[in-house]
Amino acid sequence: MSKQLNRANGASTKRLAEDGGASPLSKSLYKLSLQPATQRDSPADSSSDICPVCKSSRYLNPNMQFKINPECYHKMCESCVDRIFSHGPAPCPIAGCARTLRKGKFRKQKFEDLKVEREVDIRKRVASAMNKQEDDFETLRDYNDYLEQVEEITWNLILKIDVEATEARLRRWEEHQKADLPNATRREFEPSVPTDHVVLKKGATQRKIASFANTPQTAAAEVSEDTGFSFHGLKKRVAPPREAPFDAFGGWSIAPQYYYLQEDYGVDWFNIQKNKPELRVGGYNVREYCDLALRDAFGGFGVFIEDEKVAEEIPSLDANVATGQAAAGASGIRDVNMDDVF
Amino acid sequence: MKLTEDDIYRTSTQYRFWSFTKEQLAAQRLRTNAQATERVKANVARLRAQRQQQADSDSVSSGVENGSGANTPLPDRSSDLKEVDCLTAEEELKLVDEFCERAVALGQHCNFAMEATATGVQFLRRFYLYNSPMTYHGQNISRTTMFLATKTENSHRPLDEFVANFGKVTREQILAPEYIVAQGLRFHLEVKHPFRGLKGAHLEIMGIALGSYEGPNKIDEGMTSADLQARMLKLPSKSGRPVAMSAKDMEQRVNAAYVHASNTLKKVAILTDAYFLYTPSQIWLAAHLLADEPLTLFHISLKVSASSLTCTKLVSTIRSCAALLSSHHTYAPNPERDAKHRAEVKRLIEKLKSCRDPDKVDLVKLNQAQKRDAVKEDGDGIELEESKAKRRKIERETYEKASNEFWGPELKK
Repeated sequence: MSKQLNRANGASTKRLAEDGGASPLSKSLYKLSLQPATQRDSPADSSSDICPVCKSSRYLNPNMQFKINPECYHKMCESCVDRIFSHGPAPCPIAGCARTLRKGKFRKQKFEDLKVEREVDIRKRVASAMNKQEDDFETLRDYNDYLEQVEEITWNLILKIDVEATEARLRRWEEHQKADLPNATRREFEPSVPTDHVVLKKGATQRKIASFANTPQTAAAEVSEDTGFSFHGLKKRVAPPREAPFDAFGGWSIAPQYYYLQEDYGVDWFNIQKNKPELRVGGYNVREYCDLALRDAFGGFGVFIEDEKVAEEIPSLDANVATGQAAAGASGIRDVNMDDVF
Repeated sequence: MKLTEDDIYRTSTQYRFWSFTKEQLAAQRLRTNAQATERVKANVARLRAQRQQQADSDSVSSGVENGSGANTPLPDRSSDLKEVDCLTAEEELKLVDEFCERAVALGQHCNFAMEATATGVQFLRRFYLYNSPMTYHGQNISRTTMFLATKTENSHRPLDEFVANFGKVTREQILAPEYIVAQGLRFHLEVKHPFRGLKGAHLEIMGIALGSYEGPNKIDEGMTSADLQARMLKLPSKSGRPVAMSAKDMEQRVNAAYVHASNTLKKVAILTDAYFLYTPSQIWLAAHLLADEPLTLFHISLKVSASSLTCTKLVSTIRSCAALLSSHHTYAPNPERDAKHRAEVKRLIEKLKSCRDPDKVDLVKLNQAQKRDAVKEDGDGIELEESKAKRRKIERETYEKASNEFWGPELKK
């Protein structure tokens, strides 16, 4: 216990020393990067050591952990979350915030600064919808314009300008993208986004869509173009052609010229063989033998060695080339030595 | 991209490396003979010079000292000056034919499957196309080719079982030339035989006779199978007399033709050059032609139209093949001619004894010398020195021992 106290004290005195003259930016940078990892989960701000809901402090409960909900980013301790939200959605207990929160969405804070936390969440959400790449555009200029537009959307959301309309357009864009390629897998943006990180949640968005549909100018946009956004120079995504079924023989097939493999020849011995259970149990098909025999019978039917080999000229030379070693052995200067391991 | 039966045959090694025209075949045999003759003469001369030297250096009468010269011809000095009387290409061919016949007998003696025997015989013929009987004696080689053939034809017998068929033959004697044989065959171990093809054709001809044929029909596309059957029944008999047969008679005739052709293939075709000169398809057609000419020609006329160039060429090719088969002495035994033939072969075998390549007489020893750890015995230079061999042996043994350890042997530097 005393050790814990010492640590808390030490941390606070250190922070006091740092506070003098340090700009807020460098302070937050310091907190982001330089603080030891062990302290990151337990923000040591003296005010944040006390839960704003139940007012219990870390001093009394050293295992206390704070959680936030991306709906409103208000911080509260774990026991408060358990207590208030175990029985389903409830309004946020912080005064002046009446948003409905769910227990499942509460999570540990990743960044010291809640603004940074929120911005990262928004960026993730926008990036998952706006996942075009340079190849998808006709020119680099178009791609740059697109990136700028995306950045604008992001900042609109971060600075809470026109949030509802932008959100609605984003959703529509996403739906359009999905409808565009029903079979293809959607391309994920580099850091795959777990669904619980997405900023705006089902209940809220539903409400927003309802309110959004009433606004006249966006309704007009919906009529003309359903996509939510339109980017200049964006190529239409073409679905890749269906893969042909695999052919083990690379398109080659045997087309007999001189015979036709019959189902039945009416010949006794063949019929007897065909119906022998001891041949059939193993999966052997006597017709295969038949095919083989007929192919043998007519393989080389129209091959005239006398003509073709003269045209080819001296096959013995050919044979020598094929296995030079063997030829050397045959010509008898010395037989090829068999491989010696050592 | 369609492949016809002919295209498939053209991809086989039998077509690519082991099919020749008559002239090419004769030329190759002459070349092989010339090479072998040269080598035999050179080797014998070298050996004689060696022996001369030895006889001069120590007064002991020249005899048989070193192992590789054990069977060298003409041990007496008086004949040393005479030139070795080598076999001609023609005589070699006769000897090879004799080896082949003996190989067939060997196959019967060992109860080998027909395919294995036939493949062994073909291996022998292929081997002696590039090697001379003067270099490698047929007796050694034929045992090995038969053993190899049982393996490639999927009817393998264990070596010990195979050796038990002979009186005084050891395992080493069979295994020693195996690599040489495989090398001489250019490792082409597949021989396409006409046997299965004949069976397939028999099935088809029977189908025509029974009126169930559905294949290509170049006589008249519009004919039904029943029409074909009727036409077939009106075919003239073997001797050319027009006869009207019942379906039952026709069945018998087809069967008889099959049996005859099959016998020809098994007994005659494998002993001739037919495998080099013709495709298996043409060989069985020739055998069938010998058995029943009208039937065969009728079958061909279904496959290629009679007016086309292919048809005339095919028929002439088959006829020449049939002539080759029927001219062989096993096709129609003639006691007088056969006795002459036997006497000739006997003379040749005697002659062979006096003109064998002295370097290749003891194949077992040659094989031993090529193996690792072989100890140098004479100044040939191929074998390793004793100390070197010993060191390598120890090295290898330690390596093998290390390989059995859990982490395996040390990596080589």
